[in-house]
Amino acid sequence: MSEPTSTPAASPEQPLTERPHTGHGFGRVLVAVYGLLALAATGRSILQITEYFDRAPVPFLLSALAALIYLVATIGLARGDRASVRLATIALTVELVGVLVVGTWSVVRPEAFPEKTVWSHFGAGYGYVPLVLPLVGLWWIRRTARATAASDAEVARSAD
Amino acid sequence: MLQPLTVVLLVASGLLGLLAAHHLLRGRLVDDPLIIVGAAIELALVVQLVVGLTKASAIGDGAERATFIAYLFTVLLVIPATIVIAVKEKTQWAMAVVLGGALVVAILVARLQQVWSLNV
Repeated sequence: MSEPTSTPAASPEQPLTERPHTGHGFGRVLVAVYGLLALAATGRSILQITEYFDRAPVPFLLSALAALIYLVATIGLARGDRASVRLATIALTVELVGVLVVGTWSVVRPEAFPEKTVWSHFGAGYGYVPLVLPLVGLWWIRRTARATAASDAEVARSAD
Repeated sequence: MLQPLTVVLLVASGLLGLLAAHHLLRGRLVDDPLIIVGAAIELALVVQLVVGLTKASAIGDGAERATFIAYLFTVLLVIPATIVIAVKEKTQWAMAVVLGGALVVAILVARLQQVWSLNV
């Protein structure tokens, strides 16, 4: 931005060094990607369940579950407070377990998955994003937690 | 569907992506050119929505038509969402989000064209 709208020192709410937050910096990209996946999975599962649920109930219910998990992860990461981050951690862990279990299941018994889900074949239909994303997300949460602990220790030290 | 519009949209989202990549490398944040290109894309997407809705009945299969209409609406959300996120973020990650958003718009526009051409 060309015009200097706000100088950090001038606004009392914005400290000079920002507190680590799961929804800031690289976290914005994660929130955007999770938001997009939430949107895509929700749309897809609504379509599958309303238009042709009888064709394959299990994959379609899994799509709906995935949609819910992506939604929780998006909101949790974006909010970034302690409880939200814990909720996001649970959502991402379930997502990781889900993609591994469903991925393996769909390879071993392909006849159980006549219709694609986001998680079948480890998310190959989505460029393996569903497999990689929870790993990146969990890494990011861990990194933010460590940075928070470090900055809190810094604050405590300078207060002495 | 309306091929010239699809081409315009693909070129415009490519332009937005280039602009975001340029800003990313130069360490710049959201500025007027970025907003203007984004707004132009959004306008073209609204035109696409109107054209798409008037022509949607040409798609015979109900589920495919529903997919087509869902894409028409979904693609409208991407640019505003990415710009809002990018305005809030004061580091280079802002431009990474816009770059990703431009890519998503291009993919969705291409998917729309694909759904259309496979079903008409």
